[in-house]
Formats: sequence, structure tokens, C-alpha cells
Amino acid sequence: MRPLHPVSREARAVLGVSFFVIFVAFWAWMTLGGYVSRVFLADPWSMLKDGWRLLVEDNFAFDIGITMWRVYGGFILAAIVAVPLGIAMGAWKPVEALLEPFVSFARYLPASAFIPLLILWAGVGEVEKLLVIFFGAVFQLILIIAFSVGNTRRDLVEAAYTLGATNNGIVKRVIVPANAPEIAETLRLVLGWAWTYVIVAELIGSSSGIGYMIINSQSRLATGQIIFGIIIIGLIGLVSDIGFKALNRWLFPWSLV
Amino acid sequence: MTEFKNAKLLVEKVSRRFPGVRGGAPVQALMPVDLSVAEKDFITILGPSGCGKSTLLRIVAGLDHPSEGRVLLDGRELKGPGRDRGMVFQSYTLFPWLTVAENIAFGLREKGMPEARRKEIVANYMQLVGLKGFENHWPKQLSGGMQQRTAIARALANDPEILLLDEPFGALDNQTRGLMQELLLGIWERERKTVLFVTHDIEEAIFMASRVIVMSARPGRIKSDVTVDLPHPRSYTIKTSPEFSEFKARLTEEIRVEAMQAAEAH
Repeated sequence: MRPLHPVSREARAVLGVSFFVIFVAFWAWMTLGGYVSRVFLADPWSMLKDGWRLLVEDNFAFDIGITMWRVYGGFILAAIVAVPLGIAMGAWKPVEALLEPFVSFARYLPASAFIPLLILWAGVGEVEKLLVIFFGAVFQLILIIAFSVGNTRRDLVEAAYTLGATNNGIVKRVIVPANAPEIAETLRLVLGWAWTYVIVAELIGSSSGIGYMIINSQSRLATGQIIFGIIIIGLIGLVSDIGFKALNRWLFPWSLV
Repeated sequence: MTEFKNAKLLVEKVSRRFPGVRGGAPVQALMPVDLSVAEKDFITILGPSGCGKSTLLRIVAGLDHPSEGRVLLDGRELKGPGRDRGMVFQSYTLFPWLTVAENIAFGLREKGMPEARRKEIVANYMQLVGLKGFENHWPKQLSGGMQQRTAIARALANDPEILLLDEPFGALDNQTRGLMQELLLGIWERERKTVLFVTHDIEEAIFMASRVIVMSARPGRIKSDVTVDLPHPRSYTIKTSPEFSEFKARLTEEIRVEAMQAAEAH
């Protein structure tokens, strides 16, 4: 195969789908063929049956909804704080000098380790769940955004100055639009990480959500339900990712030409 | 000194020293330079690479500051960049998120000009640089020559006192470069802007200039100041005339010495 040679749109779709098929076929072969005990791994068919029962009898749709609200709620809060702060750090070096060391430090504090503390402060309610997502995402976002803003093309900034732009004009009309696609891409990436935090948050001190269902199923050895929950997360992630990509394409057509 | 009094742009003993890298000795990029530019003059600054010609232009633009000396425009000392000095860069510096028309209108918008007036001016300059019909294209959809034409239109639309160009056609192929020179010269012959044009191309320097300033190799100094009295309007055919060849021979000789010194120094 020629390296870096592009593949046609149709071939890409066929290849992408076929790996899902291979994956499920392998899984079915392992479980239905009796190579793996049903106790440890449910087969695809009973996974679907378990999932259907969850949705119909146990009102699992509500859990999915509550988990999504936690992810998007916490993530939007983080974005509201991180986007302006990241832009400020990237644009103004004293702000960066002030905050960068602390944010770099805070980034390595594992959000999950704060869960006991957050429960002490905020109880086991929704505020605690949102805070876990918030702390998990906010420092990462700030640093990545500050980095891309700090790398704004200097020649564009200089061109704007020679066209009479003021310092504020440079930020508003060069730095922000120049980095908007990259900021949107960063948000898309970190949103994926937020899903990891929400499940951890729901494993501890929770009475609803996909993560709660998963930990609950473990005590009953309901591996079909666990897998169904995990697959639901994957599907939501995939759909929201596709939506996010489409939104970016629509918002920033210039970055694709 | 009458010439200095009437000068549009006055460069007074401007020098530039860059601090040494990792404790090394500072680099003298520009020895003290004096230059007086009359209104409506087209001046090309010619020199081998690394002679400080771009540094000088950036200081005039306010994008760099002199270590000593000062620059005056219409008698005012310059501090920092401003809309009175439009600049065209060697690299493609159109704003990729703006269409061609929006790029040309950038400075006008920054000035707070109402949209109707802006549109009029943009349409005028689109016409002038031959880009009519490309208003809504993204910069990346244009060829290099078209991007630089847009950059010239963007700088001119702002109606600067002086137009600064830093090897604007350096990245273009030979044929396109020739056409761009004619285009820019044509605009100058009509609008009579004051122009400061940096280049290392001898033919380019003579073809457009009313004065060629030859700079020496690093540290940069002004080596000679040649008045080009070829008649206007000039067409590309002038490049094969005996007068042109004479200028070319003379400048080639001067530049050659500098280029050799520069090559030895590196």
C-alpha cells in the first residue's frame, strides 16, 4: 500500500463498518462457542435482551438522561471558565506567568481522587457530580487553549497592527478568530475525557446514572447489562462527536479549504 | 538640508543590535542608517540576504524598534505600528478566516467606517488589482500571486501615507513576479503613493524604482544611492533597453561584492 495515499469515501465507510462487524463476530464466536464462560462475559444476543429489559422495565432511559446531563452540564461549566481564561493566558504573557504554573500543577491532580472531598463539601447530589466533571476538564482545557492561542501566527498579528488594529482589536479580530477552530477541536477532544470522569463519579455515592447501573449489575453478575451500558456510552460519544465535527465544519468552513 | 525638510519619511541614525544568543556577542544587524524619502517617491532597498534591509523596513513599520536613532513620518516621530504605514509581507498574511473582500476591508472596519462606504472602497481595489469576481473566496483558494495582490489591495484600501513592501514577490515564480511588478508600478504611476520596497532582485529594484538604495552585507549600511531616471510609464520592454542594462551592470557589480563578503562571513 502506498503510504499516505487517500482512500475513497465509500471504501472508508465500508472499512469502518466492517471492523465493528468483525469485532462483534469475534465476540459472538468466543461466547456462543463456549470458549468464555457466560458468567464472565455475556454473548451479544443476551446483552441485547438485557439491554431491552433495562430500557423497558427499569427505566434506563432516565439513567442515560441523567448521565448525559452530568457530562454536558459539567463540561459546559468547564468550557465557560476555560475558554476565556485560556485565551487570556495565551494572549497576555503576565496572565500566563501568573496562572500557568498553578494550572499545570492542578492538571495532574486526579479528579477522581477529589470525589470523597467533593462529597464532603457538596453531598452526593448533582452538584458533586458536576464538580467532578468540571475539575476533570477545566485545567486540561485551559492549558491546551492557552497553548494554541500562544502559537497564533505572529505575521498575522503584525499585519493587523500595520492595518491600524489596536491591542484589543488584535485579540478580538485576530487571536480569537484565528484560534476558534482549534479551540472547538480541543473542546471536542476533552468532552471525550469527561465521559471517563462521569462514570467514576457515578460509581461512588450515586443512585442513578449509567455508572450506577454498571456497578449495580456487577454485584448481580449481570455482564450483559454492564456491556450494554458501556456500549450506550460509546454510541452517545460517537453521535456527539459526529455532531461536534459537523458543527465545526459549519462554523469554520475556511479552515477546511 | 532642504531635501530633509521636505522629506515624507526621515530615517535618522537608525541602528539595530540584537542581543546575543546564550551569552554570545550581540549581533549588529544595522549600522546607523540615514535615509530621506521624498513624497511620492518609489524607493527600492536592494541588498543580499542578511544585510538588515528587512530589519530597516520593520523598524519603519514600527514592528521592530531601533537600538538608536529615530524615524519621522511627516515630521512626527514614530512609536509603534500604525495605519499610516501599510505593509505587504513576503509570507502570505491574509487572514484565512476572512474572505478576500473582508480581508481588504479589515483596516477600514477597524477604523469604524460604515459598511456602505467600505463596500465601495473594497470594490474599487478589487478592480484595481484585477480580482473582481473573487470577493467571496477564502485566501487559501487563491494562488500565491492572487494572495499578494489581495495583500496589496488590503494595504492600499487603508489609504496609508506610505506603502512598505518586504520582498512581496519573493515567493512567486518568475513570470508571475514580472506581472506583479507591472501591476504595482501601474498602481504607483496612477496613485503616486510613497513606496519603500525591499528586494534582493536587481531587475525588480531598477524596474520599479525612482531611487535604488544599495545596502552592504552585515552589518547593514547604505552603500550607494542610485537615482533611476528611466521615463514613466514603464513597460516590461524597458528591461531590455540599453539604459536599463547599464543600471543593471552597475548594480550587479555593487551587489556582487557585498554578496561575496556575506558568503565569506557565514
